[in-house]
Amino acid sequence: MWVTIAGMAVGTYLTRAPLLLALSRRPLPPRVRLWLRLIPLAVLPALAAPLILAPDGRLALSPGHPPLWGAIVVFLLAAARVNLLVAVAIGVAVVAGLRAL
Amino acid sequence: MTAPGARQEDSRARLFRDGVAGSLALVPSVFVYGSVFGGLAVQAGLRPLEIWAMSVLVFAGASQFVAVPMIAAGAPPLAVIVTTYVVNMRHYLMAATLAPSFRAFPRPWLALVAHVINDESFAVAVARDRPPLAFVYLGSAAAISTAFVGGVVVGTELGGLVERPERYGLDFAFPAVFLSLVAVQLRRRADWLVAAAAAVLAVAISLWIPGNWHIVIAGVVVSGIAALVLDPEPDPA
Repeated sequence: MWVTIAGMAVGTYLTRAPLLLALSRRPLPPRVRLWLRLIPLAVLPALAAPLILAPDGRLALSPGHPPLWGAIVVFLLAAARVNLLVAVAIGVAVVAGLRAL
Repeated sequence: MTAPGARQEDSRARLFRDGVAGSLALVPSVFVYGSVFGGLAVQAGLRPLEIWAMSVLVFAGASQFVAVPMIAAGAPPLAVIVTTYVVNMRHYLMAATLAPSFRAFPRPWLALVAHVINDESFAVAVARDRPPLAFVYLGSAAAISTAFVGGVVVGTELGGLVERPERYGLDFAFPAVFLSLVAVQLRRRADWLVAAAAAVLAVAISLWIPGNWHIVIAGVVVSGIAALVLDPEPDPA
């Protein structure tokens, strides 16, 4: 665990320090900037989709799978600029409610 | 007559306070976000000391949310570390934008300042001044980091109180945080395509390759192809 945390800390520091210490006035090339902006847009769905759609290493696309509905609700609320924590809380409540049924 | 040095001190303190004040609207959110993280990390089986250390040493909320379910699922440490790095690569963008504002700082201080680069303070500093002002940024970073770490500590205390978190849908909080973070970042039509393609590719890879490598592979491949194919956007700064 401590190896993982130390590795995360070093890796994250390497995303922050080099360009700040370089003190360059030159802006990053436009394509590099575009790539850096797109990375989270690709990584976050790459992270969320399997947790929701294939939680146990198998596709779970049936309407009886509560996280599917929770995901739709959270996504729509956040896209409508509802406060993130409120959107997440409502999504969690939807999943809990459907599981209780 | 005031010495120029003293006046400079004054204006630094004033800008620092402006940075703190400009961040107060975000402080409750960041605090709750930190406490949700602390609570969920406890539920996922991490010890409070590990969670606090991670929050101080990594200090990047989204990537910590990413790491915790991976750790809980027994992913190899290297997969967790590489995924964290990729999620945090957006810092390069912020560091490059902030760098000219910090030219007057001694390098050892810069090494410390680098560690508190975060999305919220960057947004506060850039929204107030272009280019952003160093001391406004530092004031905001002080407010945001205190709120985040404070929230995490409170969350680790409260998180242990919940038994059987699935019952309350709390396991769904992780994907819910990721989805909401994506939803607010979708601007251009191509962004939607990038997000959808990454989701599909990641699900496909996750069914074939164990160890959570699908996150990095799908994330880097899809964003990389998109950055090569799409038109770069005009310089915002």
